[in-house]
Amino acid sequence: MTSFVSSHTRACSLPLSELLDGVSKLEKEGSDSAVRICFLRNITVEGVEPFLKFHCLTAGIRPGIIFGNYDMVLQEIMDESSPLHHNPPDMVVLSLVMEQLDPGYRSCGWQGDRVINELESLFELLAGRTDALLMVNTFIPPFDGEFGVTGHDWNTDTSGEISRVNRAIRAYVAAHRSRFMLADWERIARLHGEDGCMDYRFWYMSKAPFKKQFLNSYAWDIARSVKALKGKAKKCLVLDCDNTLWGGVVGEDGLQGIALDRNSYPGNIFHEFQRTVLTLHERGVLIVLCSKNNEEDVWEVLDRHPHSLLKREHLSAWRINWNDKATNFRELADKLNLGLDSFVFVDDNPTECDLVATTLPDVTVIRVPDKLYLYPRLLLKDGLFDTLNVSGEDRQRARMYQTEAQRKDAARQYDSIDQYLSSLALVATIHPATSGEVARIAQLTQKTNQFNLTTRRYAEGEIARFLSREDHGVFSLKVTDKFGDSGLTGVLIAVREGSVGRIDSLLLSCRILGRNLETVFLHHCLALLEAAWGVKEWCGEYLPTRKNRQVEDFYDRMGFAVTAESEAGKMYQLPVTRRESPDITYITIEE
Amino acid sequence: MEANRLKQVMARIFGVDVSAIGDDASPDTIENWDSLRHMNLVLALEEEFGIELTDDQTVEIMSYPLIKIVLSEHGIEI
Repeated sequence: MTSFVSSHTRACSLPLSELLDGVSKLEKEGSDSAVRICFLRNITVEGVEPFLKFHCLTAGIRPGIIFGNYDMVLQEIMDESSPLHHNPPDMVVLSLVMEQLDPGYRSCGWQGDRVINELESLFELLAGRTDALLMVNTFIPPFDGEFGVTGHDWNTDTSGEISRVNRAIRAYVAAHRSRFMLADWERIARLHGEDGCMDYRFWYMSKAPFKKQFLNSYAWDIARSVKALKGKAKKCLVLDCDNTLWGGVVGEDGLQGIALDRNSYPGNIFHEFQRTVLTLHERGVLIVLCSKNNEEDVWEVLDRHPHSLLKREHLSAWRINWNDKATNFRELADKLNLGLDSFVFVDDNPTECDLVATTLPDVTVIRVPDKLYLYPRLLLKDGLFDTLNVSGEDRQRARMYQTEAQRKDAARQYDSIDQYLSSLALVATIHPATSGEVARIAQLTQKTNQFNLTTRRYAEGEIARFLSREDHGVFSLKVTDKFGDSGLTGVLIAVREGSVGRIDSLLLSCRILGRNLETVFLHHCLALLEAAWGVKEWCGEYLPTRKNRQVEDFYDRMGFAVTAESEAGKMYQLPVTRRESPDITYITIEE
Repeated sequence: MEANRLKQVMARIFGVDVSAIGDDASPDTIENWDSLRHMNLVLALEEEFGIELTDDQTVEIMSYPLIKIVLSEHGIEI
């Protein structure tokens, strides 16, 4: 049983020549998406490239990496002929060291104010000149204080000033988090220390300041953002119970006998692990139990153990029974409308881990480590659940999935599906997207894999630009029913090209499927656009991926005719005069 | 044996087939041998042979024969 090892950990242990060899092998394999990354830098930072390639390719993303000219950051931004403009990247990474920004740095009495102002202007300039996501770095404080150990003004020495600059950068990124991300060099330096980070030899010889451990962690942070951008974030955490959520076996040891007490070992480890689980729940990750127990034993712990942080209300679903876990997983995926590749499974039992890993290879399987002290931070360390921007919908998602489970139970009581759908009192709110919806829309384009006709991923800047253009139409769908509000869960993007309207993107979150909302949404948007644009004909596309088979005949079902078909996808066409709005009475449309 | 080991490392660093690393290999015969990859070559040789090159040696190793000489100065005969 090989347990999950992140590419961060693997790359760290490989000699450079083997890493390069590994990268060239991975490059020969297929990948399901691509990303363009442009570094603007005042140092030699090309050493990051093999690590970044390794992390991206391992995640199935093919990176195209370019480096702007050495120490020509402003020129690259301003020059219309630079790659930044003629081949726009998805992500721009600024790699800046203070030694190059300010020649006076490290001299006595140095202050950071001028650099703070310069950086903020630079960030604004860059944000205005590109639609890409922007990653900026913090600075590494000096490892040696200039005043030694004896008293001086610690607030205004170089370390204090660097802290101030870093605080300003962090505040800027937090205030612009829809566009900016942080590569926290200060944190990476803390992680590996001076010996693991600083390559003074190549700094003085070639302005290449970093050793491989640093470069690996830096690349890892960039790759985490890329994976979030490309919708690779995991969405659901499935947990075993005995020896996973607590120490011991509750069915044998009883409520008093299990280890979960935060004041004693090893209960404190499991208690802290539960805290990590709650942190992920806060971020919108669905928490699910899948264990072989008597259900009432598990509830007794969650409801009554004084040190159990995890409670029943945190759970989106559970399978507490004696069936095999692979079967339970398939049921859970179906119930939650999620692909198995968005699942992370934690279990202590090697046999269970192996069963799930071999029968359901898309699931990320993590075994509780033998070195139990490594367990509490395990889930946060590898960035499995990173998303670009935690939105209000993320935080509400767990609750919405619980309502979804109630809906499915309700469905069983009705004879016909229409009768059931009528009872739901469905209301679809469809209107041209507003600027307040841009973040959520971009997030949906990045994360939606299954009901997604073209799987085009867009950053917020791009969506915002579509909103400002008259030949682009962006529509949002919100759904409520008697059980609650599902929030913004559908997006349609159309482009007017002369007398033809092209449907660029159409996607719906899986949790609202099965109610014919997609039919109503499509036709309502097209009707609104026909009135506004006066187009004669609609053109639709289906671009197949591993995940979106369920929509391969969607346009056929909507009355479109195939005009071209190849491995790359299908093109469809529908004259406006032939389009018939559906007669679906159980959905009320509002604008 | 050791020669293969050295040529293998060089091939991976320069992204070429081992057969392209001749006994006269240098930036003149290997197009990819630029200043960036030269840094990687230094790091990879140090990792592979468990040595640390002096400042002068990092600049000197500009061909396969010169690498052999520098390695022999560290007691490694190719």
